[in-house]
Amino acid sequence: MGKAREKLLDWKRRLSDRHMYSVTVVIVAVVALWGIYQYKRAADLRQQLDNQYNRAFYEMVGYVQNIEVLLMKSMISATPQMVAETLQEAWHQANLAQTNLGQLPVSQEVLANTSKFLSQVGDFAYALDRQNINGKGITDDQYKQLEQLHQYAVSLRDALFNLQASISDGRLQWKELAREGTQFFKKQSQNMTTQLFSDVDKTFQEFPTLIYDGPFSDHMTSLKPKGITGKEVSVEEAAEKLKKFFGEDKVASVEHTGDINADTLPAYNFKITFKDRPEGEFATADVTKKGGHVIWMLYNRDVGQPTLDVDKVKQIGKEFLESRGYKNMKDTYYIKEDNTATVNFAYEQDGVVVYPDLIKVKIALDNGDIVGFESKGYLMNHTERDIPEPKISEEEVKANFMARKELKSVGLAIIPTNFGTEIFCYELKGNMNGKDFLVYVNAETGKEEKVLIIINTEEGILTL
Amino acid sequence: MKKEKIVLILSIVSVLMCMIVPDVYHTIAYAQSSKVSDEQLIARAINGEARGEPYEGQVAVGAVILNRVASPNFPNTVAGVIYQPGAFTAVSDGQINIPIDPDSTVVKAARDAMNGWDPTGGALYYWNPQTATSKWIWSRKVLKVIGKHYFGK
Repeated sequence: MGKAREKLLDWKRRLSDRHMYSVTVVIVAVVALWGIYQYKRAADLRQQLDNQYNRAFYEMVGYVQNIEVLLMKSMISATPQMVAETLQEAWHQANLAQTNLGQLPVSQEVLANTSKFLSQVGDFAYALDRQNINGKGITDDQYKQLEQLHQYAVSLRDALFNLQASISDGRLQWKELAREGTQFFKKQSQNMTTQLFSDVDKTFQEFPTLIYDGPFSDHMTSLKPKGITGKEVSVEEAAEKLKKFFGEDKVASVEHTGDINADTLPAYNFKITFKDRPEGEFATADVTKKGGHVIWMLYNRDVGQPTLDVDKVKQIGKEFLESRGYKNMKDTYYIKEDNTATVNFAYEQDGVVVYPDLIKVKIALDNGDIVGFESKGYLMNHTERDIPEPKISEEEVKANFMARKELKSVGLAIIPTNFGTEIFCYELKGNMNGKDFLVYVNAETGKEEKVLIIINTEEGILTL
Repeated sequence: MKKEKIVLILSIVSVLMCMIVPDVYHTIAYAQSSKVSDEQLIARAINGEARGEPYEGQVAVGAVILNRVASPNFPNTVAGVIYQPGAFTAVSDGQINIPIDPDSTVVKAARDAMNGWDPTGGALYYWNPQTATSKWIWSRKVLKVIGKHYFGK
């Protein structure tokens, strides 16, 4: 206490000295200027941020208003063509509304149901649109659903208008929006009563890699796994199966590290170490409780320089799958990354490639070790199917298809749709203007179902 | 006299430095982050959120991002999901702009996630039980625990 007082008096004395005094004044002034400058900068940045949030909010309100009007119009229209056009536009507006919804500084859990409503409007409009394009009008049930969606759109629009008006003469501060917005959306989400559809979001962005891409990997909409066989297994039994999966002689230890409580594929989680491998290296895998099937496995080890070519790799993959009980798997596409090759295998039944039954195998290019395995598609979808004879002949399909394109090969395939169903198709591989592509033509109706463009790169075959 | 002049000049210079240096840092960070593709974005998000986690945990974070893109409750693009305000702490505090260590496994993890590996079985949320402050997050169903994180739906 005494020392502090002394210091203060000492400082006061020094302050009286004119030079010290002016130095202190200058320093204080400079610090004050700096403080003002920083404050102004912060205010500018906050204003810019406010502007962005304002823009997102206003745009979203505009799009919701459009959706309400378009849904109304589609209920009024009589001709399927007009209804189709209107619904297409409604789908477009729903996408835009959702994009802007995701930019608001309101915590996500509160936005979830509003976001879902917008998705459902979009999905419903899209599905009805396709239906209309095929010449079928709206059924009575669908009309009722359309009415319900429209009702909700009206209430959402009105509530948004109120929110917009009630917050200080049209100008929103993001802090206020975050507070007011949270209350608002919480109330809205309590008003959502009906669950119209399952969680299929058709507007996800497609990634330019075939392995994960929309074409044949994102079809996990069916909730009951069809490909799971066998009874419930215990942890020990699952661990034994896992040892056999890797090869008994290679495995040093298998440790049960937890469980997955998934609705569709409850599983045990394991950590596996191998003999003669450096300390700290291990693989992880999930094994289903029912039947002890390996859902996925990842073994992240350093991979040396590649010594194997892709044909050898495909062969290794096929042999691995056969020896583990996955028969008749045909390699379809591959990608090379980080000195490993990931190969897609699809089940082949009577010469028909069944894409929904998908397994991916990741092989190290230095010595052919299996370093990755993914079989969720196979476990969810694999069954022996009743494949009918195609109603359209191959010649017919080729004839309808040949204009301005060069045909490379024709085959038969079963492809998944976005709606959780499967279609039996001709798979035509062709080339136009130097670009390879695949066209899937329905083998029973002759309708073109899907068009994919193949991107060949140094690293592998991708489709978009 | 001379000593005080030096002190004065030094203090002014140091204050000016404080004003300029933060600006320069931010400019560099923005220039780098504007060139990233989806894979890079996911890798950076994993880097910001799960740098020290086991490999499975890194792939899991990537899978959560992609599951959100597919889910109707979230934005429909990778950028939309990652930059959704408040969604990822690594984005809110700027860690997403940290360049990735070339020895790091986050890019590999991002690739595996994009190629379809999902160690979480469909999770949309994850949180660190020791640091999570939101009460709401605990109402989520826990699907799996990997490293420091709980993954749930």
